[in-house]
Amino acid sequence: MTERQERRPETLSGRRINRRDFLKIGGAGLAGAALLGVAGCGGGGGGGSSGGSGDIVFAMGPDTSGSLQKLIDKFNKENKGKYSVKYRKMPTDTGQFFDKIRTQFQSGGGDIDVIGGDVIWPAQFAANGWISDVSDKLSDSERSKFLDGPIASMTYQGKLYGIPWYTDAGMLYYRKDLLQKSGFNEAPKTWDELKSMAKKVVQDSGTKAGFVWQGSQYEGGVVDGLEYINSYGGKVLDPSDASKVVIDSPDSVKGLAMAASMIPDGVSPQAVTNYTEQESQTAFLNGEAVFCRNWPYMYALVGNPDESKIKTDQVSVAPLPAGSAGSVSGLGGWNFYINAASQKQDAAIAFAKFMADPEQQKYRALNGSFLPTLKSLYDDKEILDAVPVIALAGEALANTVPRPVSPAYSDMSLKMAEQFNKAFKGDVSPEDALKTLQTDLQQIADQAS
Amino acid sequence: MTTVSREKKRGWLKEEFGNPERRTAYYMVLPALLIILLIAFYPVINSMWLSVHQSTITQTGPFNGFENYAGIFTNTDFLGGLFNTVVFTVISVAFEFVIGLGIALAINRAFRGRGLVRAAVLVPWAFPTVISAAMWRLMFQDQVGVINTVANGVGIISEPILSDRTLLLIASILVDVWKTTPFMALLLLAGLQTIPADVYEAARVDGANVMQRFFQITMPLLKPTILVAVLFRTLDSYRVYDLFWVMSNRQLESLSTFVYKGVRISQLQFAQGNAAAVFIFITAFLLALFFIYGLGMQTSTEE
Amino acid sequence: MASATATGGSRSGSANMILFYVFLLLFVLVSLFPLLWVFKMSIVTKSDLFQSPVTTLVAPPISDNYGTIFSNPDFRRALLNSSVIAGVTTIICLFFGAICAYAIARLRFRFKSAVMTTILALSFFPAVAIIAPLFVLFSNTGLINTYWSVIVTDTVFALPLTIWILVAFFKELPKDLEEAAKVDGATTIQAFRKVIVPLAAPGVFTTAILTFIFAWNEFLFANTFLFDASTQPVTVAIPNFATVYTVDYGAQAAAAVVVTIPLVILVLLFQRRIVSGLTAGAVKG
Repeated sequence: MTERQERRPETLSGRRINRRDFLKIGGAGLAGAALLGVAGCGGGGGGGSSGGSGDIVFAMGPDTSGSLQKLIDKFNKENKGKYSVKYRKMPTDTGQFFDKIRTQFQSGGGDIDVIGGDVIWPAQFAANGWISDVSDKLSDSERSKFLDGPIASMTYQGKLYGIPWYTDAGMLYYRKDLLQKSGFNEAPKTWDELKSMAKKVVQDSGTKAGFVWQGSQYEGGVVDGLEYINSYGGKVLDPSDASKVVIDSPDSVKGLAMAASMIPDGVSPQAVTNYTEQESQTAFLNGEAVFCRNWPYMYALVGNPDESKIKTDQVSVAPLPAGSAGSVSGLGGWNFYINAASQKQDAAIAFAKFMADPEQQKYRALNGSFLPTLKSLYDDKEILDAVPVIALAGEALANTVPRPVSPAYSDMSLKMAEQFNKAFKGDVSPEDALKTLQTDLQQIADQAS
Repeated sequence: MTTVSREKKRGWLKEEFGNPERRTAYYMVLPALLIILLIAFYPVINSMWLSVHQSTITQTGPFNGFENYAGIFTNTDFLGGLFNTVVFTVISVAFEFVIGLGIALAINRAFRGRGLVRAAVLVPWAFPTVISAAMWRLMFQDQVGVINTVANGVGIISEPILSDRTLLLIASILVDVWKTTPFMALLLLAGLQTIPADVYEAARVDGANVMQRFFQITMPLLKPTILVAVLFRTLDSYRVYDLFWVMSNRQLESLSTFVYKGVRISQLQFAQGNAAAVFIFITAFLLALFFIYGLGMQTSTEE
Repeated sequence: MASATATGGSRSGSANMILFYVFLLLFVLVSLFPLLWVFKMSIVTKSDLFQSPVTTLVAPPISDNYGTIFSNPDFRRALLNSSVIAGVTTIICLFFGAICAYAIARLRFRFKSAVMTTILALSFFPAVAIIAPLFVLFSNTGLINTYWSVIVTDTVFALPLTIWILVAFFKELPKDLEEAAKVDGATTIQAFRKVIVPLAAPGVFTTAILTFIFAWNEFLFANTFLFDASTQPVTVAIPNFATVYTVDYGAQAAAAVVVTIPLVILVLLFQRRIVSGLTAGAVKG
């Protein structure tokens, strides 16, 4: 707590009260009173806090692969008597997960020690002093073993705020069979190529749509929009000065204009502006689209007859098409963040590092197709053989760009989601959307600093 | 304070608590009041306090008067949300009332299978909103959405419903009418049940026709129930949140989604979010007062 | 039961009756269609569901989705949790609500409007804005992650509706019965319990069902205050039939159907009491 107070200067009036303390005082006062009303009524389930000195709570969304609990059990067995980890299931929906974690931080930190959280969270949590600076826990040589994207996404004001876990990158899925029938032997290299190929293949094969992606007004729409913009060299924040917004540039206009041209040019269906991953996946797996931008998870579904009308040999994966500045993939993924208010920092670090070890990452790659954050595992024969998409993703992962690392990323994201979506629909021109964003985002950046 | 007023004060205190009926009344009111006050009072005051300060999620900054309130009224997101909320509330409650009253009158009689009808009517209301919003989104969707397909086939619309804000607002109203008309009907039906049958018999003997009976007996006697039902539906619609948030995938802004974004997502609009919450609170309050004093809704009057 | 025909045209011809039933059928179909569709969604395979609406309609039924949800121990537990939370909330709300409403409807005292306004006002504060202080409150009292945290907040937000509806009902009840009871020597409380409560049965049951449904469907508080499967209700469990990028619509639809069934049963069980009630009979008898 002292650390945070040092960081936050007192205002001149001296009236600035720490909100967490304020809430605590109010809550404590009320607590006594409220107990009168409800005392004596036993609780429903297990109590909140964990007992032993090394007991830590790890919060993460549901894990359908089952590999997470197995690794936690393994950790607990290896550290018997020393540390013990309890897995607390968080909501699947990323937004709700964020909301829940933030409420707990806001009210004093809660009892969670380690969070398995989204790559876009660290700056926001770090700026409030909610998660621990782990810079000295991961040496330079250790850091260099990880992919650059995840490390960059957790680096805020020169400090590292998390341990990398698994990663994600946007990729281009395409119908190999249909492309071949129309005389194309390779995936499109540029966005323009994608457009002309899509039109030709749709004409030849009668497929419903050319290219489906995520154009809805949500976080995924921001990722897709930024992929277009970044691939033409457009940037949100000035790389040399993160407080300066530079999104309104000719490069960005070119990128967003490319995205906005997809519907009027007949390459993407009108409904793509309300598509999320689920809808794009549905269209592609039903054989109704030639191209689809999606995350690596979809590859495993292609071969599954319950999920998909098309077969593995009809599909291939490539890096996203390039703009004038090359191919760019949006970076996704999940990392470990440590609650700054946790009393068990050592145990928390030990657990995060254990999970990030090659052995555990490999286990998750083989049992659940999670993309490792360790570079070395992309040369691991066993992984490449068992999980082909990891081999295919390697190239895309080299071009990943994280979303802006800013303490006010949530605010920026809300604005970008809205303006991008309007531009995709053609409700506003790319120029106007970016002009609006330049003003709004700069205002947010100024307020945040 | 002067002695006289103190005397006076003591006077009514004695009157209030000396009278056994009144004392009983206080004992009966107190538990419910205490529960609500204990839990809700501090958080609400806290939010009001934050709304007049330059507050952030972690700090309560210096007092800044009504700056946050001035801020929301220049914020296009807030104004858009206000517009959507008002349109949504007025239209959906109007439809719900008219249809609900019709249903209540129709099923307020003996007929075969009315138990089933009443249960069927209540199912939409019982369906969890979190799920129904997601399911409706799927039904409005362009690939597998049964409604989008039918509407396209019939030629009512040419574009995907979920891609157009106006269509989304209309769709939200439809879903709300579908979901909460039964609530309205049920409340009105219970109200109808309290009207004694002999009142109608007497009117019929006096030669009143159906319309006369409706406007001169049913409506006046049903008025308290109608006002309660309409007020609660209005205040509920006015706070619409999950329907917009889930079904439109955040495209539709309402007052509550603005509060949600400000207080629970944004790092910067925390103070404005609180100001918007207080704005909702105050306007809802004024609305309730209008029902009570403007429309004569009975709250505490004796007869 | 004859009393219920009060407003209906009892001498309507059979043509009228047929028209009435046609209207009724149409109405029931409209209100049930979306739910029937959800039910249909719950009994088709994923690929049939994502084919087109027509495919969904004609696809052969399967029961896999129900297997999925019932083999999930968290979901089974969630059904129990929901029942406890909604049940206890309803009982508490009705108990305190009915007592408070009676005083407001029938007894004379000062500050009546003040009481009513406070009750109404506080509960209409946007819930999202007060979640954080409530979280602190429940953490400090140890109620966090117990049923009570949600029961208490649900009660606070359901009580005003309960009280207001009951006040409206109590007011409509004939006063002379109560007065007769008092003349016979009954106290205020006895008059309330022996005369008003049975007479107000339709109103009380209506309110009970509405409160139960409100608590059963509540999501925001449950999602914030409850951490693990041992306490989380179905509204929190259902959205988790999904992964970060995809949604298992079939399982969610199946879960939605399962969750709605107890409510339908409840309504069927109590609808007679809700509507036909004892009012008319009591007045006549």
